[in-house]
Amino acid sequence: MQHLADVEVYSVRTLREALELLSSVKGLRVIAGGTDLIVQLKTGVVPKTNLLDVSRVDELRYVRFEDGILRIGALTTFMEIYRSELVRRHAPLLAEAAFTVGSFQIMNKGTIGGNIVNASPAADSLPPLYALNAELKIVGPRGERFVRIQDFYKGYKKLDLMADELVAEVRIRPPGEGYVGHFFKHGLRRGDAIAVVNGAVLLRLSPEGIVRDARVALGAVAPTVVRSPSSERVLVGSRLSPEVMWRAAEAVVNDISPIDDVRGSAAYRRELSVNYVFMTLYRIARETGVVA
Amino acid sequence: MYGLKFPHSARTREIRFVLNGSETSVRVPPGYTLLETLRYVLRMTGTKEGCARGDCGECTVLVDGVPVHACLTLMSQVEGRSVLTVEGIDRQHRLIRAFVEEGAVQCGHCTPGIVVAAYHLLSQVPRPTEEQVREALRGNLCRCTGYVKIIRAVLKAGEA
Repeated sequence: MQHLADVEVYSVRTLREALELLSSVKGLRVIAGGTDLIVQLKTGVVPKTNLLDVSRVDELRYVRFEDGILRIGALTTFMEIYRSELVRRHAPLLAEAAFTVGSFQIMNKGTIGGNIVNASPAADSLPPLYALNAELKIVGPRGERFVRIQDFYKGYKKLDLMADELVAEVRIRPPGEGYVGHFFKHGLRRGDAIAVVNGAVLLRLSPEGIVRDARVALGAVAPTVVRSPSSERVLVGSRLSPEVMWRAAEAVVNDISPIDDVRGSAAYRRELSVNYVFMTLYRIARETGVVA
Repeated sequence: MYGLKFPHSARTREIRFVLNGSETSVRVPPGYTLLETLRYVLRMTGTKEGCARGDCGECTVLVDGVPVHACLTLMSQVEGRSVLTVEGIDRQHRLIRAFVEEGAVQCGHCTPGIVVAAYHLLSQVPRPTEEQVREALRGNLCRCTGYVKIIRAVLKAGEA
């Protein structure tokens, strides 16, 4: 592991200063919590570059609910997200994911913006954001723009983000009444681990237990987080019976393309994806009284 | 590791922060981690280096009162903040006494990080449940497999 003593670190306190430096100094990499980036820099996974430390830009640390939209500042930590009453009320899926991101030490430092821009396909915040159709507010010298989370990822670690832009805010429109969902994660250690497979299932059920809307998102099984339209199609319009749940779970293999890596084989990931989607559907069915 | 001679001294900068209650100023590269600064510059070796990648929790310190990994904290992120290391906890603190009384230390390498994490828990939840202790310490590995006594010690300190 190498030291970072030869790396210049620019520290800023305001978003404006951050954007000015990004425009005027070439080749800066933005660091927020640093829980993944510092490891990547030290192990040489990413080349050493000078850093723009935005961890003290306090104006990007907030959770607000305005005009029917939950707004989370990019520098909000996972501990803050997990504890936020607003997140628990309007996006409980995200609160569940925030608690599993890592140990308390990681939750205290890791930020949602960092998780998004770091762009790991195993990022725990992403399946909930895909299921909730979240939108990102991106700011830069040309003003601000909004991108749907699904459109932000162009491929493995390829982002719709220019070198002089920053992700400033995550926006979530609460899905509304009747939606129930859960996050799931399989890690090799419960307390602090990168996901082998993770995901989120969000359903709207009629009082009779018919699925009116289904959103199934999976992580660590493709170059980016993916939704599973095959699984969603099986669910919508059907009653949440064990048979439908199995068919929906098995359908996810059509939409994923896992690889073998240090955390698990592709076959293992396919198996986990099916089983976890089934278990999560079953959990939802039990909690809503659709199955006993 | 690097001692006091920096490989790239041109990059150093004066960083001020509060360390265990005392105003501290240290001239280091801003890309140094807090762990490197504590151990190799300030020679405060209570904070241990285990994995140096955020998995083991050995280097846990409090920055502005919350537990973080010193190995994943750059000095630029410490500027103007308050840092508490294991050296800043009173040796007569009930938590330290409980670790001694319960025999919660074996090789001792994980102990400082666990003491700091548990110290934070007790400051937030004076009488934690076993579940709360396990959650608060889930990021701290002990390779002597001494978790039972460690948890017992924290619970005992919580009852005092």
